[in-house]
Amino acid sequence: MASGVSGYAAISARVRAMYSDLLTPQDITRLSDAPDFPSLVSALKSTPYGKYLSGLKDNELTPRRVILQIRNRLSDSYSSVVQQAPEQTRPLVRQLFRYFEVGNLKAVLRSIQTVSSWNSEVAPWDRVREVLFPFGSFSTIPAQAMVESGSVVAAVELLRGSPYEAAMSFAMRRFSTEQNLFPLEVALDLNYWRRLWAEAKKLSGRDREMGLKIIGSLLDLNNLMWVIRYRIYHNLSEEELINYTLPFGYRVRDEDVRSIAAGADIASIISRIYPDIAHVSELLDHPESGLPKLEHLLKQNVMRQCVAAFIGDPFHIGLPLAYLLLSDFEIQDLVVLIEAKSSRLKDEAFRPLLLKTTLTH
Amino acid sequence: MLFPKQMSEVELIVPSKDLVAVTRALSGYGVFHQVDSANLGLEGLGQNTWQETAGAYSTLERRIQTIMQNVGLAEEYPAKPGIDTMVDLDATRPLVDRIDEDVKGVSDQLSGEKKRLELLESQLRQLEPIADVDVEVGALSKSSFMHSILGVVPAANITRLKTSLLRVPHVFFTLREDPQKPVVWILGQKSNSDVLERAAKSAYLNPLNLPEEFNGTPEQITGMLRREIESSKQRISGLEADLARLGASHKNELQRLLWDVHISRVMADAIVRFGQLRHTYVVVGWVPTEDLGDLTARLKEASREILIETMATSRSGHHSNIPVALTNNKWLKPIQDLVTTFGRPSYGELDPTLLIAMTFPILYGAMFGDLGQGLILILVGILAHNRIFMKGLQSIGLLLVYCGFFASIFGFLYGSIFGFEGHLIEEYLHFHFEPMWMSPLENILTILAFAIDAGIIILLFGYLLGLFNNIRSRDWAHFWFGHTGVVALIFYVCFLALLGGFLGDTAIAPKVAVAINSLPLPFPLLAGVFGVLVMFSGFFRNMVEGHTLIEGKGIGGFAMFLVQSFMDLFETGISMLSNTLSFVRVGAFAVAHGGLSLAIFSLAGEEPTIGFWITILIGNIFIIGFEGLIVYIQTMRLHYYEILGKFFHGGGMQFEPLKLNPSKEDA
Repeated sequence: MASGVSGYAAISARVRAMYSDLLTPQDITRLSDAPDFPSLVSALKSTPYGKYLSGLKDNELTPRRVILQIRNRLSDSYSSVVQQAPEQTRPLVRQLFRYFEVGNLKAVLRSIQTVSSWNSEVAPWDRVREVLFPFGSFSTIPAQAMVESGSVVAAVELLRGSPYEAAMSFAMRRFSTEQNLFPLEVALDLNYWRRLWAEAKKLSGRDREMGLKIIGSLLDLNNLMWVIRYRIYHNLSEEELINYTLPFGYRVRDEDVRSIAAGADIASIISRIYPDIAHVSELLDHPESGLPKLEHLLKQNVMRQCVAAFIGDPFHIGLPLAYLLLSDFEIQDLVVLIEAKSSRLKDEAFRPLLLKTTLTH
Repeated sequence: MLFPKQMSEVELIVPSKDLVAVTRALSGYGVFHQVDSANLGLEGLGQNTWQETAGAYSTLERRIQTIMQNVGLAEEYPAKPGIDTMVDLDATRPLVDRIDEDVKGVSDQLSGEKKRLELLESQLRQLEPIADVDVEVGALSKSSFMHSILGVVPAANITRLKTSLLRVPHVFFTLREDPQKPVVWILGQKSNSDVLERAAKSAYLNPLNLPEEFNGTPEQITGMLRREIESSKQRISGLEADLARLGASHKNELQRLLWDVHISRVMADAIVRFGQLRHTYVVVGWVPTEDLGDLTARLKEASREILIETMATSRSGHHSNIPVALTNNKWLKPIQDLVTTFGRPSYGELDPTLLIAMTFPILYGAMFGDLGQGLILILVGILAHNRIFMKGLQSIGLLLVYCGFFASIFGFLYGSIFGFEGHLIEEYLHFHFEPMWMSPLENILTILAFAIDAGIIILLFGYLLGLFNNIRSRDWAHFWFGHTGVVALIFYVCFLALLGGFLGDTAIAPKVAVAINSLPLPFPLLAGVFGVLVMFSGFFRNMVEGHTLIEGKGIGGFAMFLVQSFMDLFETGISMLSNTLSFVRVGAFAVAHGGLSLAIFSLAGEEPTIGFWITILIGNIFIIGFEGLIVYIQTMRLHYYEILGKFFHGGGMQFEPLKLNPSKEDA
């Protein structure tokens, strides 16, 4: 089993090379300066995303298509890291990659629920596949067959043998009585994060330390946003909030989640966990606009952890994980830009939403 | 060999009547990389019926696969599948329907019976833990003061479920420990029933559903369930035997149908991506030029009226949309894998496989120079390549052979055999073996300087290849001002001259650098001038490419630009120094190899006893396994960081031809 210097020599070299290819805040600013969507695409072509856009004809340059193409880069990065990561860490990287498969699965299920309201001239699969993450050969779900199956029950039947079978088999009982995708989606999320955390805990030494730190930071973000949103928007009871969240993470402790679930003041808990986030109360006073801002700040906190992973000893899994997360955040910025430019949003409406350019160290 | 295969763009205008024959010719030979040209078709021709046809073939193919799965047949094609025409859906469907009907009745019965068995077993499993409890099961739900929930919950949710109930008085029993589906029983006050129910529901607890007729004690019910399970199992065996008989009788027909429908589906999928005109179709794609003649002949055979336009593609310019087919040479396969792990060459770019095939084994051999251990590596490589030994290493078997060969050559040059050097060879092996060049351990500074010299030559070669690639792609901005452009190259030469001057006649001084310094040129002045050019190379690149001259002027202004430019120069200088000195490791590892062998000898002692020879044997195994791996990583690192980065960009699109029958390798 290769680990340490011997296991990481090749991958840390490769990841560092790929890291240097990430866009800088200046690049993002330059892209934000593009006057409209076509100019943005043309500016994107001169970045490392260029090769993913060059194959598109002019009439294919729709925002949705461009987003799909640039996501291919992230997919390639994951494939590359999965191939080169030391064997004992591959399950963790694969599970991290599954985040996008879970997203695809949710999109497929939502499409089945809403397909009756669609324009019947376009085949449902042709519409759905445009919004799916390009997961390539890693995919374990028969997405097309699921969409074509026409019902959620039949689609979930097709998940037999996939990593989602067990979670879905329990959740389907609730779906059949409630006819609502919420229990399925929550079950998928909980199952995903539990598996990811379990994979990180299987590691040892520095891999484990860095894996738990980076995955834990990401989990903190999700866990906090879940419990806050479920409490504020869904008015769920304490016992439901506890069952729909997770008892582990990096900085967020189970007691914090349970306190929020029990009705404690959210702002004081967040301020204690993240002293560098200011004016939390004001953000929570206006949840419609405040919660996205809070999520933005928490994401930036994860980004800082990722950037810090590149400092010091590079021979651990933290480096590839950090790179993959930073790539994902970069693509989230690009999606904001693409949607903003194609909808002709004003600068002040979208610039504060960019993660990279508003990041402070 | 030096470049990816020459590609030709092919545009076809195909009469509608010959559509299928042409598609068959395009798909049948695995040389045509299709480009989606549906957008070239006319709009307003109505819905593309081929889309529906492709969907219908796909559905039919899945149906056949499902039938084969149901009757226990592997998805195999006929022994000698021919490339036939597309099958008629209307004629094929009844055939599939007929077999499906035969199979479906039995298969539905089987799956129904299996579900029943599963239900019975699950009910039995749920009741087993409470089999010795002497209560009426029905009475649990009829209590006036207590609320009871008995059910199955995901194992991962149990802890969380318990946590969620901490605030209400309750009793929690895990009746059955199961890694997947444990059975739990929650009992609480009737007044807290809503909290208990909400907690159970949100933990995905599926309450136990025992039918009304299940009255009596658990022991009585389990006895009845066991009898039911036994008879269900017998019915399942009978149905499975029926299915196996059906599978055997329909095997040949199903395999032939699967093949016919599969090729029809592949062709229909291809046609969907053709551009549909009124009476013709437009097809666009790429073909390796060497296969073009053959494909053209086949296309003309398929359609007399086909219009074929081919355009050979020059390798100069940008070609990100041209698929890249690399030359398949089995002897270079492991090297090609090393290169493609770093990146796939783009179409106009030099394929570095051949260069790496030379430098990789040589640098490896120089670091791991030992005649005996090199021969062992060759032997292991041959055995691994032929899957006789260490099957997992089959893909790099040949690479081990090449590296072992050069390790043996350098073993001759260094006078090292299984770690024995100099007088040790005569003393213990009883023959004379002098280094043909030098012993690294006795000439440490010389070998280090030589390694740097070799590195300088490789780096200069890398710079030149980078310029060559830039010329081919007509990327003049990077040709002049890129990180490996002309300006950077001259600055590097000046840097070497200054380094040569600084180290002078010391033993570590690289001879190439000293030789450059002896040229009658004002290197300090040139270094200053080209240093300034390197410093502002980003500015000049933007100027040549017509971009905004100073990027990010909004955030830092001109001062920030100057600081950034200076940092660029600083970074370039540091990289040049580190890139050059990086090759010291080649010499250092040659020395370390000798040092490690000495350490083994000091452990083995002086007397040639059995213990001595066992220690030497274990030491050699350790050196081959451990040092061999580290040297491999170092060699890879030198190539990825110092060599390929100088001239190779990658990012080419993989050539993926239309194929009817995927090879085992593809699968």
